[in-house]
Amino acid sequence: MNRTPARISQLFFLLLFLGLFLSTEYRGKDEIPAAVNSFFRADPLALATWLLAVKSFTLLLLPALLVLILTLVFGRFFCGWICPLGTILELVTGRIVKGKTPPWLVGRLKYLLLALLMGAALAGLNLAGILDPLAILLRAMTFFAHPLAGDAARTGWVGLYRVMGESRDYLAPGYSLLHDYLLPFRESSYPLAVLSALLLLTVILLERYGKRAWCRYLCPLGTLLGLLSRFSPVRRSPGRICGDCGECENVCPTVEEGKMPEGEECLLCFACRRGCGRSRVRFWFANPFKLRERPYLPARRFLLGGMAGGLLFARGLRWKSAEARERLLRPPGVRDEAEFLAACVRCGECMKVCLRSALYPAALQAGMEGLYTPLLVPRLGYCEYHCTLCGQVCPTGAIPNLPKGEKEREVVGKAVFDKNHCLPYAKKSNCIVCEEHCPIPRKAIRSRVVESLDLNGKKISLMEPYVVEELCNGCGICEHVCPLEGKSGVEIFGVKDKTPIAVAVAAKPAAKVRGGDEDPYK
Amino acid sequence: MERREFIRLMAIAACFTPRMAAAKELPVVGVATGTDYGKITRNAISAVGGMKRFVKPGDVVVVKPNMGWDRTPEQAANTNPLVVRAVVEEVLAAGAKKVKVFDRTCNDERRCYANSGIQGALKGLPNVEVRFIENERFKKVLLNGEALKEWELYGEVLSANVFINVPVAKHHKLTGLTMGLKNIMGVMGGDRGKLHKQIGPALADVNAVLKSHLTVIDATRILTDHGPQGGDPADVKIMNTVIASTDIVAADAYATTLFGLKPADIPVTVAAAKRGIGEMELKKVRIVRV
Repeated sequence: MNRTPARISQLFFLLLFLGLFLSTEYRGKDEIPAAVNSFFRADPLALATWLLAVKSFTLLLLPALLVLILTLVFGRFFCGWICPLGTILELVTGRIVKGKTPPWLVGRLKYLLLALLMGAALAGLNLAGILDPLAILLRAMTFFAHPLAGDAARTGWVGLYRVMGESRDYLAPGYSLLHDYLLPFRESSYPLAVLSALLLLTVILLERYGKRAWCRYLCPLGTLLGLLSRFSPVRRSPGRICGDCGECENVCPTVEEGKMPEGEECLLCFACRRGCGRSRVRFWFANPFKLRERPYLPARRFLLGGMAGGLLFARGLRWKSAEARERLLRPPGVRDEAEFLAACVRCGECMKVCLRSALYPAALQAGMEGLYTPLLVPRLGYCEYHCTLCGQVCPTGAIPNLPKGEKEREVVGKAVFDKNHCLPYAKKSNCIVCEEHCPIPRKAIRSRVVESLDLNGKKISLMEPYVVEELCNGCGICEHVCPLEGKSGVEIFGVKDKTPIAVAVAAKPAAKVRGGDEDPYK
Repeated sequence: MERREFIRLMAIAACFTPRMAAAKELPVVGVATGTDYGKITRNAISAVGGMKRFVKPGDVVVVKPNMGWDRTPEQAANTNPLVVRAVVEEVLAAGAKKVKVFDRTCNDERRCYANSGIQGALKGLPNVEVRFIENERFKKVLLNGEALKEWELYGEVLSANVFINVPVAKHHKLTGLTMGLKNIMGVMGGDRGKLHKQIGPALADVNAVLKSHLTVIDATRILTDHGPQGGDPADVKIMNTVIASTDIVAADAYATTLFGLKPADIPVTVAAAKRGIGEMELKKVRIVRV
């Protein structure tokens, strides 16, 4: 077994990633002390696209700046020591039969990809997350693997009840342990689950074309770090494989047909140094002024072309259907769609942490440009009034981290009744489940009592619900709990004006009129 | 005995027995007031005969508070944790083998259990289970009622020896108030929103089959408006009262008066009384104040 310091560090960070993934869940406290967003906050690719797209800076991404600076000094250590996806690839590569690398994969493709992402970012569209290695891994876990594990365990647990009945209780402590610490609390399934899994699978299957093929030929984060590491003065000597030994070729994870990786491709794992039978290999700082054997930027045409392509590409992905636009409900605190698309890295953490499984990755509902961005789907889950978790775990501040009192007043959308469906209007029968669940202390959904005739012509007293728009934050609980099957009688629609509910309106002392029709401003 | 004589005797007996029975078995409602909520809870229970009357050693007991909302104890949307704890302690002291406490919540169950303060208040008590609802435990029960033919009820309640109903008394937009009779919704499965069409008869149907052996109503503070969820401190009124009774309708009827309302104003109470589940006329109830 490989026990180099690099491998120990890799395993440590992989476990840390998994641990933080599991801790990205509500566990009885309003605050999550440590979440998997730490990895994204240290992700220079997320930083780069954020800077280009948002065109300002956020302290949230300070760790990424640190990694960036360290890369400038030491090289591509992130890939060799930290990246959990890279670690997974190294752990499985031995089991994948190697084939001939197709020529289109080698060389310039990765620069083109990176340039495309940067170009799109410059145009205000942050697509980094779609190909970011951490995001690929996290999404496959969040949308596919973890729900699958949860579903399997739950199915088994329910099955045991069918077989054992109440005596299943003897096993309950064991299942609780599993359920409380390892499995998702709620059984939800996600759109794009299969796509997310396939993306990760593709990355793994690329190992067919060499060790860490994804990292060397495609990964935009790796490519960015590689470009930065060109400035690093750290050099390996000897620069090539010695004729009399050649042992490094066997131990290096990224060696390519008799050529040791240099500068940009070296992951600094030091496997060659440890593996060198003659103790010749050393890594040390070279004189930075003597490192001019190559141009800093590879294939300028590709970079510039890619950037231009990205700019155009970003515009081309804009279209979304009118229906999609109406129901474009973003997590609480997101006020502007363009700003959101610039800042969101599509890592999936908000969807992982969402208490009521209200957030789902957009397939095309937010337009092509919104692929994998979070959408609130009230019929499936609502935004819990006092919960602030999505803002807490968002690594880039695309969803702002707001204190409870403020988040509660942020507007996701506004509720609208459909009188053709809503029971009191359509069927003349009392209901007001929506009003009951409305979390706004002064009620954004209220009802007025009217004398009416039921469908048989009998005189009845009916409670007809209505929305007080000034108080509605669009949390969606009304749509979620509407007892109608199929289409809900009340639905949340997106609004342009997302000014938070005014403190003055939300906190006015309650008028003591029971069941009556109240003026929200009285 | 002659046939005629027998009939006459029976007629005389018929004139006396109901009244005598009524005089003997007037339902008792214990009403305790004070600011030590644990103590007044115990007092109210003693007033109706003490917990040993209901719980025998080795029993499995379900204590069902209302903890349906992600609200704090001061907001009066959930049962006061101190009241729940006192009830559970009494049950344990009576020798129960196991006490199960749960509710089918409206908001996220984890937040409700935590923020209602009930999970925390019961922490560390031996043989007390505070678990979330597991859907597979719901069982279809034949009710043969007026509104509901059958409905899914929680298996843990059906299999328990004793069921203790511990609601909070609060305003409810649709039903006027919600207390013991409506708290039963927390052990009902299925789409409960559908009950709202005919909530009075539906709740009578369930309460007629699923009897609360003891009802302890938390009126330490009551929510007077914007119920069942509340949230505005202006709607909360401190009453420092706990009510206990074996007659769920009588307990609800008494609690109704704390809001300045009459039992007849609450359709759920009326429907239950009409079904013979209990007594809503407070004149026909013995109120024991402690």
